[in-house]
Amino acid sequence: MKKYLTVFGISFQNEFVYRLNFILWRFRNVLRTLMTFFLWNSVFSSNSNVFGYSKEQMLAYVFLVLIVSSFVMAAPSNDNVGGEISDGTLNNFLIKPIGYLRYWLTRDWASKLLNMLFAVFEFTLLWLIFRPQIFLSHSPIQLSLGIILIIISSLIFFIITKLAISTAFWVPENTWGLMFTILVFMEILAGSIFPLDLLPKSIITLLQFTPFPYMIYYPIAILVGRIDAQLAVRIIFQSLALLAVSYWVAMKVWKKGLKNYAAVGI
Amino acid sequence: MKTLKVILHYSSNSLQQTLSNLPVLFIFLFSKIVRYGMFIAFLYLLFNGVSSVRGYSREQMLMFYLVFNIIDTIGQLMFREVYRFRPLVVSGGFDAVLTKPFSPIIRSLFGGPDFIDLGLLVIIVSVAVYIARTFIHPTPVQTLLFLAMIINSLLITTAFHILVLGVGIITFSVDHLVMIYRDLTALMRIPVDMFTDPMRSLLTFVIPMGIMFTFPAKVLLGILNWQLILISFLFGVVSLFLSLKFWNYSLRQYQSASS
Repeated sequence: MKKYLTVFGISFQNEFVYRLNFILWRFRNVLRTLMTFFLWNSVFSSNSNVFGYSKEQMLAYVFLVLIVSSFVMAAPSNDNVGGEISDGTLNNFLIKPIGYLRYWLTRDWASKLLNMLFAVFEFTLLWLIFRPQIFLSHSPIQLSLGIILIIISSLIFFIITKLAISTAFWVPENTWGLMFTILVFMEILAGSIFPLDLLPKSIITLLQFTPFPYMIYYPIAILVGRIDAQLAVRIIFQSLALLAVSYWVAMKVWKKGLKNYAAVGI
Repeated sequence: MKTLKVILHYSSNSLQQTLSNLPVLFIFLFSKIVRYGMFIAFLYLLFNGVSSVRGYSREQMLMFYLVFNIIDTIGQLMFREVYRFRPLVVSGGFDAVLTKPFSPIIRSLFGGPDFIDLGLLVIIVSVAVYIARTFIHPTPVQTLLFLAMIINSLLITTAFHILVLGVGIITFSVDHLVMIYRDLTALMRIPVDMFTDPMRSLLTFVIPMGIMFTFPAKVLLGILNWQLILISFLFGVVSLFLSLKFWNYSLRQYQSASS
């Protein structure tokens, strides 16, 4: 445990070494939020209620996306693991007394912490400029359930993306293909542009068997009280099941991948 | 003529490289089609709940999105080599480019077009033509002006990529500038009118995203006045001229430090 705490500390400090990189990355996140914000702002300029959402509720949703996605989807591992497999750098880790995936999970969490700090700052800044009314559930239970789901979702995101990247064990020249596909699906189906309850009921029912709605939509819907505590508990159990299944599959694939790994890049 | 011949040679090499890895080609093509398809599906869904957005109908919004994608995709297709420019400068490999009897700027801009985007472009243009013919009904004058505005947008896109190359030579870094450009362009999936001032003015006349992506679609819809059309063309020519000046300046700063 101590070694991972050290990795966490070093990774956190490491983010400050490349300050410009980090600031530009955050700037890019704000830009992405702006498109969604202005789109919905325009939609509500001539409509007071759209799909059961008021303007305030929708803009609050858009702002919360910035915070939740900063935590769930901040993962430097996605930019590095594939490359380390294909160029053979993975060898350095295999001979060390440290779990490779746990090492990257720790580094991701250091990045998440810093991203969250910046996201709160950006959130405050945007709030001061646009002054949207932010609705949050008054129930502490509801808020706690939302936070628990965010943590579980970030673990699911980590495992699913590593599963996609593990194709590099078999196709080292293509470390990004499947990952790109997953991120494309996540762009809309996670709920970062619109809340998923705008979709027909049959599609949401189908989506709950995929990891996508657990990334952004469900956590925010619970935090703002759109999903009640009872349903929230069910969703948390579903997410735990999804986490267990994806973990099991990822471990199987990772083991097979390691057997296939020949450090060809070295 | 020689320049065109060399560009065709670069394109042929790049096409062969793309075709040599068909699974990757299909994965990226599939993912990009899904990305566009889902945003279009979202627009359709949105207009099930509202009749118009800032006065624009579903088909008009769709046209804005398709025109954005046409310009954006052509830019990505042509200027992919810019994304690979940094290693060339950092490693000193740019020396070899400079010593060859061929324009380094053409080599750096058009050295590796991305043909994965070509298939996508054909699909987007086909959908745009269908929507325009069925719902928009532009006049021949509007259509010709639209094509001229697209060329103008590509001039501004070229100017921006030259700027990125120049900054790359001076600072050894292009990655973030290119990615910020990509994120700024992504804002234009919706018309610039959706943004409130000062954001709207900033995105139109300072960072000319509105001119590049929204104005051509507005010309096609017949809702852009002639003054703004003139300003757009002026912007295109001036930005290309200034970017070439900056490129010459940055070349004088190149020190070949890594070679």
